[in-house]
Parts: sequence; C-alpha cells; structure tokens
Amino acid sequence: MKVDIRELGQFNHLASQGAKRAARSLSQLTGVQMDVEVTDVSLVTENVLAETFTGQSFVGVELGLQGGLEGETVLAFERERALKLQDLLLQATGSSDELAQSSVTELGNIMIGGFIDGWANHLGEAINMTPPKYTEAVGPRILPDQAIEAAKNHGVFLFESKLKAMDIDLDFSIYMLPEYRQFVDLLSGTEQGNQIPVNRLSAFEDLAKEGAGNAAGQIGMMTGLDTDVDISRLRFVPLRGVPRQVGDDRFVGVVFELKGLPSGYLVVLFDEASAKRVASSMMPGGSGEDGIGTMTEGAIKELGNIMTSGFIDGWANVLGTSIEHTPPNFVHDMGSAIMSPVVGKLGKQQDYAFVIDSTIEIDGHQGRCDIYALPNERELARALSALPART
Amino acid sequence: MKRLETDDNTVSRQKIGIAEYAVVTDETILITSGLGSCLGIVLYDPQNTVSGMIHVMLPSVDQARDTNPAKFVDTGLPLLIDEMEAAGADPSGLRAWIVGGSEMLNFEFGGESIGSRNIAMASQMLDDLDLTLVDSDVGGGHGRSIQFDPAAEAVSIRTADESTRAI
Repeated sequence: MKVDIRELGQFNHLASQGAKRAARSLSQLTGVQMDVEVTDVSLVTENVLAETFTGQSFVGVELGLQGGLEGETVLAFERERALKLQDLLLQATGSSDELAQSSVTELGNIMIGGFIDGWANHLGEAINMTPPKYTEAVGPRILPDQAIEAAKNHGVFLFESKLKAMDIDLDFSIYMLPEYRQFVDLLSGTEQGNQIPVNRLSAFEDLAKEGAGNAAGQIGMMTGLDTDVDISRLRFVPLRGVPRQVGDDRFVGVVFELKGLPSGYLVVLFDEASAKRVASSMMPGGSGEDGIGTMTEGAIKELGNIMTSGFIDGWANVLGTSIEHTPPNFVHDMGSAIMSPVVGKLGKQQDYAFVIDSTIEIDGHQGRCDIYALPNERELARALSALPART
Repeated sequence: MKRLETDDNTVSRQKIGIAEYAVVTDETILITSGLGSCLGIVLYDPQNTVSGMIHVMLPSVDQARDTNPAKFVDTGLPLLIDEMEAAGADPSGLRAWIVGGSEMLNFEFGGESIGSRNIAMASQMLDDLDLTLVDSDVGGGHGRSIQFDPAAEAVSIRTADESTRAI
C-alpha cells in the first residue's frame, strides 16, 4: 500500500483549516482569542502513542466518524487546563459544575463539527458524527480503544492540531485518528504522484529512532552525563508550521546542510542552560564562562558534528546512498528564527516536510536537546521507493 | 453566552504565521515572530486606518513549485495591497516598514543569502510602487519578532536577547 505525498498534504491542509474553524467557534462562544499553533500528521506505533501521552491526565470529548471518513476524533485537554476552561464557562454562564461539564462536551461537539466541516466536501461523501462522549483518562487511554489496537497492529495515522489562547494560559489539542485501511485508500493518489510505500515510512521512522539513540550515546560519551531518547517521531507538517513548533524561546545549537540522497537539513538545539551544562561537562574543570561564549560555541559545534554523524549514519546504509554534511553553523537565537532560513531553502521546492523530531533528555530532567531532521521530501520518497521490498 | 473576561480585553491582537497575512481596520495589534531570513512587511493607511502585515519567506515565485502568493515578496506585497484596498485603503497613501531578512546561516554553496534577496526584492518593489518607506530594520545575523500598533503608528522589534526597539 502506498501513500501519495500530495494527498497527505491535502489532508493536512483540511485538518489545518478545520482546526482554524474550530478555534473560531471557541472564540465566538467564549470570547477567548485562540490561535492554531500547528497541525501535523504522523503514522504512529503503540510505543510512540505511549511516549506522547504517558504521565499526563486528560479530559476529552470523543466523537466517532462514519461515512466518507471513518474513525475517531478527540478533543483533549490536560486535566488542569480543562478545569480552567470549565471555570471560564462557569463564569460566562453562571451555571453549576454539572452544566459546565456538559458545556465542555457541547463545546467539543461544536468544535469537532467545525473541524470536520469541509472534509465531506473534499471527499464528496457525507460524514456523520456519533454523539459526543465526555471522557477522563490517564495516558494514551484518552484515545479510543480501536485506535490503540490499530497502533499495535500496523500503526495509526494521528492528526494533531494544537490550539493556544492568546491572552490566557489555555492550550489543548484536537486529535483525529482515521480508520487505517480506508484512509490509506484515500491517500493512494495516482501512480504519477510521489508515492511512498507505507511500510517503508515506518522503516524510516525506526531508522530515525536508531539515529536518535546514537546521537544520545554520543552526548553521553562526550560529557559523561546520562542520556536517554525521550521521544522520536516522524511527522508530516506544513513547512511553515516548523518554526512555530520550535517556538520563540532562545536556543543554542548547530545547523547542518545534508548533501546526497536525500539532501536536507539537520538542526540540533539546546536550551541555554542545557548548552552550558553540556559544554561545561566536556571541558576539564568546567568552562567557567558566564554566558554563551566562544568556549561553549566550540564545544557545541564539536558535539553537534559527532551527533549528526551518529544520527544519519544508518541512513546511507539502509537507503544504499551516500549522504554527507557541511561543517556546523553555530546558532544562538530564537528557535523560530533559526528555522526560518531552513524552511526558506526547502520552501522553494516543497510546501510540506517530513520532520524527524527527537528529544534527548540529559542527566535526568536536568537538560534536553532537540534534533530536527528535514530531508527533501521528493528525494526521501525516491530513496524509500527504490528500496527492495521487505519480506 | 456572554463574552469572557480576559487579561486585556481592550485591544485585540492578531498573530500572523509564516506565509500568512492579515488586514485590519481597527486598532488590532498585528504580531509576527521568528523573522530570521524571512521578511515582515507592514503597510498602513493613516487616512483610512487600514493596517496590513505579511510574513514572506522567499523573494520570488519564479522557479518555485509552490504558488501560495503569501509566501513570496513579489506576489505577497501586491496581494496585501489589494486586500487593503478592498478593506478601504488608498493604495497610494500607504506607509511601509520592513523588518527581518537576516543571514542566520552561512552555507558553502548557498550563493547570496535568502535574507538579502528578500530585502532587495521588497525595497525594489516599494520603490516601483512609489510607497513611503517609513523605516526598516533589516539584515544582520539575528532573529526578530515584531508587532505593529496602529494607534501608535509604530513597529516594535524584539530580539532574542529580550532587547526591544521601536521604528
């Protein structure tokens, strides 16, 4: 079974438009100005679901979809945020807790309605929604059982749109998990398109995970600190969503251009405290630098070089190609601005990107490092399609 | 359902992402963040109080596969002007600010940086259209976030070291 990149882009666009409509309905109902941060879609396994949701307590509104698009949609709030929304709704309506709970359900119903609007048009077939269900759960159990089961068997497509209030501390996500087989059919596109066999997409994700493990190992070796890959995902996102995903906080890191098949970019980012900690651990007697100076820069460049080699090491072997990288470009700036020339360069040729997004925890929760790899979409499709079929 | 109280319910704000634009006819503050090599262009018609902001990525739609007009300087600027005219602005009375276009990265075979090409294209177009460039803060090697406050007729610029300046 193959997926056409252009179709995947179409569906991402529909989800992104849907999330904007959902945000507008929430703004109209409550007066809270909402902003859609980013919409991504990834083919996730049970492990990734566990990594993504574990340890958090959720309140959700769940609706089933039937007809042109089958599957489940969940509006999920972290528990504290949901209580905050209930408070806001209480203030607005002056009603009881019970009513606030039912108004969260109703809100979910309206927002998911807005989210799904437009999909039926695209598919030329009606989509019916089952009545909304209010749910509370810890970890991935906030998602419907069928979706978790599907993730175990062959992976499940997970659409996620993050919504954030502009003036108050409120954020949440809309998840959509279409039924796997029907959705793969919808994604099949035409023979002329850039098609990637679905199973190779997950093979590539495994490769990325291995790469993140190697990079974490390199940090450990260079610094003597404990490291662990916290999360690693292959997401399909609109290019312009990438800087937003990274955010406006200030980061220290390195950017590499990749050359070969696929070409692309690799970005390694540390928050300032983590950068200082890591650099200091690499120098006998610590760095002794107050801020981020030339010593930290040198250390981060050296580490970035080794991590990048470790990260992409397996790619060339598995893809049967050769991939090289440029010397490191040191960056110390807001994350979104660091990403701006990267998406600019890729943006000439493509509108969406496969982003491999890995987070490495350093020394427990003391520090972290994010690695973003953005291969050229068509070249990645070509390299994956050229692989011999796996048995 | 009545409107909820928020921290600031007097002036609303609107965020603009990459390859997006917005046009407003009230005192809504327009915001965009993460300008690296990208360029933020602000246009304002003080007579008719119409404000517009666009966050473009690349200088020209030529040789690009994607044709979202808000992604490019050469298609985005005319689009913004058209939309502002539709909202009641007089295109000949627009005042302009440009911010961004920095050189964040330096790659071996990159040729001239995206940032400097973005700046050149925007300056050329504003000149051709005979629009008044009020001020600019472009180039360098750092990122910027901006907000345009129509009431103050000023663009304030924030950089990663938390310093701010107004132009």
